[in-house]
Amino acid sequence: MQIQVKCSCGEGNCPEWAIVELQGVVEAQPSFVDRIQNLQIGVLCRPSSQENYTFTVGYHELTGSKVTLKKPILVLKKIKLQDKEEESEGDVSSTRVELDVIGVIRHKILFKTRPKALISSKDTSDHICKDLNHLSKKKLLHQVPLCHSNWIKLF
Amino acid sequence: MDIIHPQAGCSGGAEAVLGLQSNSSISIAYHPLFGPHDDLMLLELDEKLLPEILHQRVTLRGQPDEDAVLCTSSKTYAVKFVGTSNSVFLIPPSDKVSELCDKKNDDSMVVASVIKVAPGCMELVEVAPKLDKLKLLLSQNPYSFSEASEMDFSEERNKTKIGLYRWYDLVERLQASDEELKLGLQSLSAVEIDGYWRILDDKYMNGILNMLLHNVILNDWSINALNEDDVLGTLETDGFPRNIAKHCLQVYCSKVDEGDGVSCKWKLEERRVCGHLAREILKEGKMKMEIFMEKWTRKFPDGMHASFDILEGEVLTEKLGVETWVYSFSLSSLPSTPAERFAILFRERPKWEWKDLQPYVRDLRVPGLSSEGLLLKYTRRTQPTMGAEPVFSAR
Repeated sequence: MQIQVKCSCGEGNCPEWAIVELQGVVEAQPSFVDRIQNLQIGVLCRPSSQENYTFTVGYHELTGSKVTLKKPILVLKKIKLQDKEEESEGDVSSTRVELDVIGVIRHKILFKTRPKALISSKDTSDHICKDLNHLSKKKLLHQVPLCHSNWIKLF
Repeated sequence: MDIIHPQAGCSGGAEAVLGLQSNSSISIAYHPLFGPHDDLMLLELDEKLLPEILHQRVTLRGQPDEDAVLCTSSKTYAVKFVGTSNSVFLIPPSDKVSELCDKKNDDSMVVASVIKVAPGCMELVEVAPKLDKLKLLLSQNPYSFSEASEMDFSEERNKTKIGLYRWYDLVERLQASDEELKLGLQSLSAVEIDGYWRILDDKYMNGILNMLLHNVILNDWSINALNEDDVLGTLETDGFPRNIAKHCLQVYCSKVDEGDGVSCKWKLEERRVCGHLAREILKEGKMKMEIFMEKWTRKFPDGMHASFDILEGEVLTEKLGVETWVYSFSLSSLPSTPAERFAILFRERPKWEWKDLQPYVRDLRVPGLSSEGLLLKYTRRTQPTMGAEPVFSAR
């Protein structure tokens, strides 16, 4: 079997996607778990002209930076196509799978520090806290990133 | 009462994240279509492979029960999924909706939407192509004299296509790039007949080579300057199709560059011809060295002088009492994956001297591993005494 990898964007026109990466898991409050579409996760700030960033989720503030990936990452979309067979030869399947390159990622905003709790801080943090009160409370679990790998069956 | 706070800001997408200006902030939210999106995958790729992808030269190959490999036009890569426990928020570029931004209130915050949290990313590891299956497939239906003599091209015969593979059929079944597959076919001396890739069975190969050597003697041709048209002409007269005759030239001879442009000249390749003759002689089993040498050299065409050394990688010798015996042990019959290759070698002989072992391992290729590394990984090297030949045995 073969799966063709193609790029319908045309050469050099692959749109750039972004990744915001943080350690651990962001969870929505139970009442929101089934309808998190459109829900705000947090606020991404760039306080200065440096490539340093803060990400505020609930009452946690993370600090991180923009990282250029050593190797680009392609965003692939699996497409199932129905083939119209002109002449049937035995058991040739009529669905074909293709992988379409729909984007490329060259940078990510990576947060790998311990989240800073904003609850007991003064001034602006209260303000932020208040603004975020109407959001479902996010729980940030701090974990060491694991990397487990296995060979995949793509078919 | 909690409300789901709809994002009043305009959609900025990936551009808003990557182009975030100093002293600014944006909101990161779940996309209206946020979900598992199992059809979206991430693949980490060397920059230099991007042109191959953009020019449609990359495919994934394999059977549903095999681990997938990614093939460019000339290389094969295993695909590994590396999971992460980090939260990787995937943010696509903004869609046309962002054009509405201009109409919205400027005070509202720009929103970048997360379409999916990626569980990990696929990575590529270069591997040797898996071509042992090729020999298996092509051996199902080798081309033989009986098939060649069949003048019946009725529909019935055409329907039984068991063990017959076109190029495309091979590509569908094997995990190798096109170039690697071509080299694999070459190493098996496969030939395309009527659109199907075939290996010629032993009798047929033997028959055509013997006919060629017979003609060399009959016509007193120089083995170093065989005229292509003459060779193909006589072989055709003897009943061999021209394309197979040409294939025979390519297997047992090499082209001699002569700029006269009239007809190509070929010369017999000693190693290939003598190797074949040796295999034929030793087909029935092992033989005493003296007897073998006599039979073998007797078959040489005029002008061919080969010593026993030319048979490295084809035969092995063993001492039984005071006599030396020779038997067939051909590299071409061994598997191409290192683990299996060494297993068979050590089953044949528990201990090997380097000069005997080398012809059977020098073709092994593992990306990222040198030949020394291969030996280290699969063998144990001992040296009985200082200055003695090192001996290799199984780990």
